[in-house]
Amino acid sequence: MAVYLIINIGLNLQEGITGIPNFGILLAVAGGAYFTGGLSVRLALSLLGIRTGLSPILNNVSVLALINPILISQPLLAIAFMVLFIIVGGAAGAAMGLISSAPAVRLREDYLAITLLAFGEILNVIGVGYTPLIGGPPGVSVPDVLGWAGRYRFYAGTFVLLLVAIAIFAYSGYLIKTPLGRTLRAIRDNEIVARSLGKDITRYRTVAILIGSTLCGIAGSLWVMYSGAVTPTYARFDWTFLPWLMILLGGMGSNRGTLVGTFIFVTLDKLILYFKYDFSGILPFNIIWLNYLLLGCITILILIYRPEGLVRTWQRESQAVQAKK
Amino acid sequence: MGSLLQVKNVTRAFGNLHALDGVTLNVDEKTVTILIGPNGSGKTTLINVITGFQKPDEGQIYYGSTEITGWSPQQIYGTGIARTFQIPSMFGKLTVLENLLVAEKNHPGESLAKSMFKRLWAKRETDAIEKATKIMELLGMSEQLSTPASLLSGGQMKLVEIGRALMSDANLYLLDEPVSGVNPTLAHEIFARIIRLREQFGITFFIIEHRLDIALKYVDYVNAMASGKLLAAGPPEQVINDPRVIEAYLGA
Repeated sequence: MAVYLIINIGLNLQEGITGIPNFGILLAVAGGAYFTGGLSVRLALSLLGIRTGLSPILNNVSVLALINPILISQPLLAIAFMVLFIIVGGAAGAAMGLISSAPAVRLREDYLAITLLAFGEILNVIGVGYTPLIGGPPGVSVPDVLGWAGRYRFYAGTFVLLLVAIAIFAYSGYLIKTPLGRTLRAIRDNEIVARSLGKDITRYRTVAILIGSTLCGIAGSLWVMYSGAVTPTYARFDWTFLPWLMILLGGMGSNRGTLVGTFIFVTLDKLILYFKYDFSGILPFNIIWLNYLLLGCITILILIYRPEGLVRTWQRESQAVQAKK
Repeated sequence: MGSLLQVKNVTRAFGNLHALDGVTLNVDEKTVTILIGPNGSGKTTLINVITGFQKPDEGQIYYGSTEITGWSPQQIYGTGIARTFQIPSMFGKLTVLENLLVAEKNHPGESLAKSMFKRLWAKRETDAIEKATKIMELLGMSEQLSTPASLLSGGQMKLVEIGRALMSDANLYLLDEPVSGVNPTLAHEIFARIIRLREQFGITFFIIEHRLDIALKYVDYVNAMASGKLLAAGPPEQVINDPRVIEAYLGA
């Protein structure tokens, strides 16, 4: 949920605030994940001064056997590594976002969306085909930066995810109210007028993509560290359309809406997943599809009855301004 | 009184249509000049060309003694020319106050790095809010500062557009039909305020307007266009009595 929240905040900053329909966030998420996967083992080796003839990717398991004991015995070092990997992931996400948007950012909205969607697919192909990155289809494991927590590893990981998500939520709430956020919102509302007021649209769009992609990259990186491994299977559905659904649900352009949307969506999804087997035999179709069906119906209902999302954006924005006075 | 804006022999064609066909005109400093002409005579294209939204095929445009032909809208706004649009164009989900604040030039809080540290831009923001509040007072809209712009009436949007342009501290304002669709009382008021602003700040207005019944008594000069050409220019009485203008625009 925290991972989705970070991604969704990143997406909301682009689409909800700036009006960039980025269907290519998969690229930044996967970029953060793959680069964390590909670089973390190598970085750990060189920083810890371990010399080995083994390939960090292909002999992944044996190499990690050299690294992990050190990290488990030195929690502070492990945390430093975690921060480093988050930065790597964020930088990779930012780079992916900029690379994919550089040729596309000048396009009109709809073309931009399609171009970015296509870019999102490219990295998966590279991940599968180019083994030095993350070892192809089998993937790689990453140094265990949470191993020191022992049997509380799951709680420690959740805590870190939550902490980062809260920090990012606070930052994006702040950003929306800064003059930069205001200009981004202005560009979303009316690009031509913004140009007439001396705003360089391309520059601001790039800034928004930069921030959003960095966040997605961080999310990807965190996810890899949390789950301990990365494989080139970042599905378009899970990492492109679900984030879009969640911010639609909560209310496009609203920071709180993003939170609400993510929370409700993930909770519903997990609940359906948990209970759906109780319905097997009752329903006339394979219950595997139940969550997709229900979530699809919910989406359609929301688009019909509450297209502005559960949290009405302009009310929020105007209240925020009044509160500032 | 020198001329602030000079348009020299500017041509702009869309395919076979010559929207601007060798237009030459001057706007003198500290005057209110209007541009009239039938629909499709190239008035809005002229403003688009002056403000950099479209590039002229031929000809030059001077702002003071600087040639600004072919500059980008950003550069032209930066040099001191602000414009409004024919169709009221708001940042709909932003409040009236925010609409004005967006127009603040070179705001340090708009840079990604500086936006993170509030003290680097808080002072500038306070000043900008004060300026915006004053401008809206001047335009009689202090009440609506925190209203989302999309909820305003058409006439109020026109005023916000003018206010937003004023935030730029520009010297030259190009207003595209500032009183179209506005009731007569408010329309008179808008023109009266334009005159007052001219007097107070010594700024220059170049205005496209069809509603001569309202505009004529406020303006210093009238330019008349038809089919992409300038027909006549001069004081109001002279231009509206020009037979060519009567034939092309005013009717018998």
